[in-house]
Amino acid sequence: MKFNKFNKKLPTLFLDPLSEYGAIDSSVNIILSPSLYWVKKVSLPVKYARDAKKLLPSIFEDILPDGKYNYYAYKSDDEFIIFAYSDKLIIDTLAQKGIPLSNVANIYFAQSEVTGIEGALKINEAQSIYVKDEILILVPCCWIEEKGELDLAKINLSKHNIALEKFGHIVETKSLYKIGAILMVLILLITTEYFITADKVSTILTAKDELFEKNSLQSTTFQNKSMLKKYKAIHQSQTNLRDIMSVILSLRLKSDEKISFIDMKSKKIIISFSGVKEGKERAIINTLKAKKLQFKKSFVKENMKIEVRL
Amino acid sequence: MNRINPLYVGISLFVILIFVFLKLSSVSDEYYDAKESYKETLTLVNELSGLKEVYANKSIAKKSLQKILNHSSLKSVEIKQKNTKSTIKLSCASMDMKALNFLMGKILNGTYQVKNLKIKQLSKIRATLDMEIKW
Repeated sequence: MKFNKFNKKLPTLFLDPLSEYGAIDSSVNIILSPSLYWVKKVSLPVKYARDAKKLLPSIFEDILPDGKYNYYAYKSDDEFIIFAYSDKLIIDTLAQKGIPLSNVANIYFAQSEVTGIEGALKINEAQSIYVKDEILILVPCCWIEEKGELDLAKINLSKHNIALEKFGHIVETKSLYKIGAILMVLILLITTEYFITADKVSTILTAKDELFEKNSLQSTTFQNKSMLKKYKAIHQSQTNLRDIMSVILSLRLKSDEKISFIDMKSKKIIISFSGVKEGKERAIINTLKAKKLQFKKSFVKENMKIEVRL
Repeated sequence: MNRINPLYVGISLFVILIFVFLKLSSVSDEYYDAKESYKETLTLVNELSGLKEVYANKSIAKKSLQKILNHSSLKSVEIKQKNTKSTIKLSCASMDMKALNFLMGKILNGTYQVKNLKIKQLSKIRATLDMEIKW
């Protein structure tokens, strides 16, 4: 494993499937070995790298094995250096080498970072890298005589780094965007509904206050309920009075029987009948009972007193 | 990695969605309570206003009572009136049954709050009356 400080902060690591690495417990920059990407130097009828990227899938189409690939390009003089790489392959290699994805700061291509080398440089026991026709290639050690090992300390990393789509091989980017868009639409709808409902609550509370004000009522529901209870009691008592009076005044009395006295106070009403002897009151009592009046009766000589609670 | 992890964005969006959903649920409960409370208040206000109008409207009660007392059927009867801040007392030492029937009919068919009532028969056609009406 070869480490180097980059920008006085992060070490750099040359990632190759055949290299071995120790434990990685801090952030590192990764330089991808040529075995982890496909590269070409081409002339394209476009001016900028971003325009060139749109053409890359068709350029690499006939050389890439089946799978999902991402592409990168940068301009070199009048030509473009174009790359195809598989996020899954890189992620799997990192995992295989025990390098946590969370510790990977930036990922670079060896093509863009290892420049100006003369002859072959050893990267591990079995392989070397070598520049042929401006393209960095990977060769077996025995094919060519190495002039030493790759020294990562001398490499100044460029701006040509890539970002991996960690979940691109599980869910397609388009699907992720769709799910994200659906979630955002839902959030927007629910938030709108929240504000509409909150506004309705506020309107109802204002209307409730206005009800009290408009009807000149007390400011609290408790006070008003208490007042309503009082008026309901009055209403009940007055209704009862009228019901009782209606029953009493509609009684069919004999010619010598008369209502001589009516006294109503303190929630009770007393009616005095003259000319009604004890034992002869059945007709009156039956009528009162038929009308479901609760009453008490008493006699003083030929006067019968009926007492009814209001 | 420079690119934001889509999973983090997804989880964040999902957490925001749950949060706004809970807020909506809470405000929906509040809305339901406010609506129920408004309905209850409206019923309370209607009942209370109606009963107050009937039993506590002094000017209307006083005016209509005066109209009854000024009626031609009661002109021949001497009914004494005594006003207090919240009541009116009517008394008559002797009144005929026709006048008594007229007066009681009007009072009991109206919405007056009769606090006290005393009617005593004096003869076959005459009676005394004491009545207190409150507002």
